[in-house]
Amino acid sequence: MADGGGWRPPRPCEAYRAEWKLCRSAGHFLHHYYVHGERPTCEQWRRDLMSCRDWEERRSADAQRSLCESERARVQAAQKHALVWTPRQSPPTDWHLPLLQEEKDE
Amino acid sequence: AAVRFAGGMAEAPDERPQGPAAEEQLQQQRVPCQVFSERQAQGKPQQGFLSSFFSNNQKCQLMLLKTLQTNPYVKLLLDAMKHSGCAVNRERHFSCEDCSGNVSGGFDASTSQIVLCQNNISNQAHMNRVVTHELIHAFDHCRAHVNWFTNVKHLACSEVRAANLSGDCSLINEIFRLHFGLKQHHQTCVRDRAILSILAVRNVSREVAQKAVDEVFESCFNDHEPFGRIPHNKTYARYAHRDFQNRD
Repeated sequence: MADGGGWRPPRPCEAYRAEWKLCRSAGHFLHHYYVHGERPTCEQWRRDLMSCRDWEERRSADAQRSLCESERARVQAAQKHALVWTPRQSPPTDWHLPLLQEEKDE
Repeated sequence: AAVRFAGGMAEAPDERPQGPAAEEQLQQQRVPCQVFSERQAQGKPQQGFLSSFFSNNQKCQLMLLKTLQTNPYVKLLLDAMKHSGCAVNRERHFSCEDCSGNVSGGFDASTSQIVLCQNNISNQAHMNRVVTHELIHAFDHCRAHVNWFTNVKHLACSEVRAANLSGDCSLINEIFRLHFGLKQHHQTCVRDRAILSILAVRNVSREVAQKAVDEVFESCFNDHEPFGRIPHNKTYARYAHRDFQNRD
């Protein structure tokens, strides 16, 4: 996400609008309270939607910066928990191997 | 060697909301290491059932096909697994079988196969949830070195994630189980169901299972991969799938 040359927002503006709308819905309030015991905050989605529209209309550098920071923060928030297990560098070698019973039957 | 399941769904089907009784049933039959021992004896379980219409096996196969083709939770998980190098093949990686007890399904890490208990899954919504739950285990198996058989904390982590992200603990499902609670009840449900699942597949005490869940809960409850969020219903799952497809 460098200069405005070939850059476009991380999500289409419609996606930010849909997320903001979902966040503000009664259903989401209920789900969020059920999980977290508190009301949701939807302000960031609204800000991102405004920035996205700003970019589309005026190619605003501030809007670009704001969107990048927002998405980066989301990614970091998703990764901040310590891992219980070691990630693999490659998938399990036996995932695609045929079942032993099938081999015997053939 | 006996086939043992890494993770299982230790629950009664939804239309029999037995609440505390379900847990009792599971505790009474607590021989988790032998729950799936009949798998070996059955060989190819499909033989002999195809002669009658609407057998449990056929129903299971049909419901599974519908789930794989239409359910947004499952479609996201299938995409994520393919992305991680574990493309899922229905015939290779799924098996509809009869199971003892109340268990709905399990993931067999030693054969990379998801077992669906055809005698305990009676409707499409339940099938959707079982497949989602077990695919989360399969996804964890694919992306990380999960010591299913030797590290109860690893098992606990995957069970927390599966209970959290599959819809097992949705408000509606908990109401059907006669577990009433609202504020943060989801987390209570996830803890309880993770413990039940561990007890169903491992010969450990409730205290050991609970301790493992407590130790990993903070980390694993907040690990929402590949969804990026807790998918409370199909709308959230569809949004999550869209985000996953755009993540690059």
